[in-house]
Amino acid sequence: MAIPDIAVNDSITDVEATRAPRRFLRAVLGNRKAATGAVILLVMGFVAAFPGLIAPDDPQAAIYAQNAGPSSAHLLGTTMLGQDVFSQLVWSTRLTLIVTLIVTAIATFLSTIIGVTSAYAGGVTDRVLTVIIDVFLILPVLPLLILLAAYLPPGVTSLVIVLCITSWAFQARQLRSQGLSIRDRDFLVAARARGERGIYIILVEIVPTMTSLIAASFLALAVYVVGFAASLQFLGLGNSSELMWGTMLYNAQQASALEAGNVWWALSPGAAVAVLGAGFALVNYAFDEIGNPALRPVRRRRGRSSA
Amino acid sequence: MAQPRDSPDSTASSAEPLLRAVDLTRHFRLGGLFSKHSLHAVDDLNLNIREREIVALVGESGSGKSTVARLLARIYKPTRGEIYYRGRSLRSLRSRKDQLWYRGEVALVLQDPFSSLHPVFHVSHGVTRNLALHRAELKRNERRREAERVCETVGLSPKMLSRFPYEMSGGERQRIGFAQALAVAPKLILADEPVSMLDVSIRIGILNMMAGLRDREGVSLLYITHDLASARYVADRVVVMYAGHLVEEGPTETVLSSPKHPYTQLLLSAVAEPSEKDAEIAADSGEPPRVIDPTEGCRFRWRCPHAIEKCAQVTPRPTPIGEAQVACHVAVAEAQRASNPASIS
Amino acid sequence: MADPLLEVDDLAVEYLTGNANVRAVNGVSFTVGPGEFLGIVGESGCGKSTLLFAVAQLLSPPGEVVGGKVMFHGRNMVRLSRGELQSMRWRDYSIVMQSAMNALNPMKSIGAQFKDTLQAHGATSNDDVRQRSTEVMNLVGIDPAHLHSYPHQLSGGMRQRAMIAMALLFTPQLVIMDEPTSALDVVAQQSLMTKIKDLQRSLGFAVIFVTHDMSVVSRYSDRVLVMYAGEIAEAARTAEVFERPLHPYTRGLMNAFPSVRGPRRDLVGIPGSPPDLARPPSGCRFHPRCPDVMPACLSNEPDLYRVGDTDVRCLLYAEQAKEAV
Repeated sequence: MAIPDIAVNDSITDVEATRAPRRFLRAVLGNRKAATGAVILLVMGFVAAFPGLIAPDDPQAAIYAQNAGPSSAHLLGTTMLGQDVFSQLVWSTRLTLIVTLIVTAIATFLSTIIGVTSAYAGGVTDRVLTVIIDVFLILPVLPLLILLAAYLPPGVTSLVIVLCITSWAFQARQLRSQGLSIRDRDFLVAARARGERGIYIILVEIVPTMTSLIAASFLALAVYVVGFAASLQFLGLGNSSELMWGTMLYNAQQASALEAGNVWWALSPGAAVAVLGAGFALVNYAFDEIGNPALRPVRRRRGRSSA
Repeated sequence: MAQPRDSPDSTASSAEPLLRAVDLTRHFRLGGLFSKHSLHAVDDLNLNIREREIVALVGESGSGKSTVARLLARIYKPTRGEIYYRGRSLRSLRSRKDQLWYRGEVALVLQDPFSSLHPVFHVSHGVTRNLALHRAELKRNERRREAERVCETVGLSPKMLSRFPYEMSGGERQRIGFAQALAVAPKLILADEPVSMLDVSIRIGILNMMAGLRDREGVSLLYITHDLASARYVADRVVVMYAGHLVEEGPTETVLSSPKHPYTQLLLSAVAEPSEKDAEIAADSGEPPRVIDPTEGCRFRWRCPHAIEKCAQVTPRPTPIGEAQVACHVAVAEAQRASNPASIS
Repeated sequence: MADPLLEVDDLAVEYLTGNANVRAVNGVSFTVGPGEFLGIVGESGCGKSTLLFAVAQLLSPPGEVVGGKVMFHGRNMVRLSRGELQSMRWRDYSIVMQSAMNALNPMKSIGAQFKDTLQAHGATSNDDVRQRSTEVMNLVGIDPAHLHSYPHQLSGGMRQRAMIAMALLFTPQLVIMDEPTSALDVVAQQSLMTKIKDLQRSLGFAVIFVTHDMSVVSRYSDRVLVMYAGEIAEAARTAEVFERPLHPYTRGLMNAFPSVRGPRRDLVGIPGSPPDLARPPSGCRFHPRCPDVMPACLSNEPDLYRVGDTDVRCLLYAEQAKEAV
């Protein structure tokens, strides 16, 4: 039987009743930086999906004039072996993007699980995990690489492994901090009070409240991974026959392209890396502003107040 | 509706109380791993809660009352002492089944309506989870109906279940908090300052609802608050805490109309009433201390106008005076003198 | 009757949010006499804090004063330039905020913050600064040794007193306070209020005290404004409001206070919740929750009617007010 003083309030108060995805879409479209970033990513995605539409030439066919400058036939000139640079650039987008996304996804997943568990479990578990995170953070990457390079076959798989190992800790501390700030929030105390298991609380109660932060971490990590993957390949960890921007950089370096005057071959993959990284970074701005309304630009009202 | 029933004689309870805390103690270590300092949040608390009873646990911030709620809800483990529920010690509840059983008997409602519900899910989330965890015998459509029933019991339309927290007012969210608690069909609800963050005009509705839960659903409540007036309004018994200690407890009217402990007296005089003007105001500017590495002795002595030497040496224990229990050397001595006029020293 | 110190005339404040403008304060008028203690009471969302900010000229976008005047010393503060406001701030009026921990700089000692304030508004020599700082600390009852302390080293009650000391550095004529006691426990609250009242009597400044706590207002204020949904619902001398509340909202509020000392009785409170100011109810803003609602209330917005010495915004009194004229 209901208690008489019903507090039924049927009118939904005027709040942003829109769900997160729609809010995000609106935030991206309304924000110039984020919209630019989104465009870049969409273009990259398109290029990765349909490279043939843009660069019909076989990227690896070494049939053209060597070291040629840009022309209408070869928008970015040719390599030392006579391959079309533009084709290579376009066709490398796919693997580069796939590697980036896979590594970022794995690393973000690891850092989320480890960071949040560390925050939530507290006590000894927290200390142990924090130490592990710190160890991975300060791992000297290059010596590790040299070690691994001796044992791992050069190629995408090794690249992914190395990148995951060295980049998951990046965001783990931040996610742990967020976890710490939430762990004593009343709704989590309530979850413990009703007897939920720890794993359940971490996965179902905590992680969904951090989606913005996780997405932002993902994007930030993607920027890092794009650059670092290219760097590793430039240093030789990649397989030069695989089509990625990093390996293009490596090949150009091996062929002393810059000295030979072939600027386009030497620099265009680097520029592509920069643009992709910028794309992720710009979209990340949208997240900052959704998450923190204080960062949103406030438009002053025009005109003065009436007397 | 809010009138408590005549409280039973507290000295002659034959039945085992629903919940019994014995010498309940909780300390928190301050500083790092090797620090020796500890914060004494609760010390040697003895508390009984009977069936169909509302007990108000009153104290200011730092008194330890919220820690008590969390100890009873098994969020914290006691440093010392025991908690008995229906005669079973909580320490003996080891298996997951036993622990879930207890959580299905004793439910927790928290203070802040703005953070007590999961921000991302529908408000039905907590209710549904509670039903899944503690009322597993119900079938799917029975659960639905039960969710609607508890919603109505707290005075909300079942439509509210599909709303998000940000679409509801503070008062409505607190009612959902109670609905969540009711979903497990508890015998005892621990309510930690459930109305402190609500507007005054909404509070009464919640307090009336709580009294209704006691009267109609047969649920006991531990109502934790700093507000003596609301404690008087709903509670059958009042327990006053100061700096981790129980200082006075007894039937509501007894404690509030003739308080024996100086702290209770101070609290009462400090409460301003809208209908009074220029009332007697006790002069005091202190605040409850943070109790770190305390020594023996009464923790109120620095603020107490009646402190004697013994207060600094011996920690007063709750001693029966009439229907109440009071932890004060001076009050106890006075009561003894009053009942024994022959022995004047 | 002395000239009023502060005169607020038909003040209106709006917030630009997304599409709609929310009118948080809708045509509020009141005066404050010298040395008077005015309490502004209301629940969450009634606009009292916005009103306070508007009067103190502390509103920032998206909030903006869109109408009315705030006359202080014969000048409309809404129209003053920043420089002119700066010269008035702290000398003629000062502000005490709700939470000292939010208002005090945690990185500076109390004394350093007093010094900043003093020097920002005209005091020059170090001796003057030291002397005045010590004076105000003694006024509020804090050992001047605490001038060297940092905010986190003081208890909550002492921090609030330090805020009040800071507000009194130039002995202004008006001190505006936004819920200065709500973060304090009952005993600390009472001692702080007693101190404020003592200071007021000895130094003679006026106080505008915004709070949700009716009991604090009842004990210490001379006059009370009850706000609801951005408007004044009732305004009168304190004793009048508490003994003979006229507006159904005020009556509902009075009926929502369980008593510690008086007789025990069943209370009802006020069903429903305050309206969303982006879409206020038609006619009288209180009508959806009013136990005495009439058909006219749904369409007619009541003015502020004068009944005896009380101003009340309720159609129940429209006739009486007309007859009195």
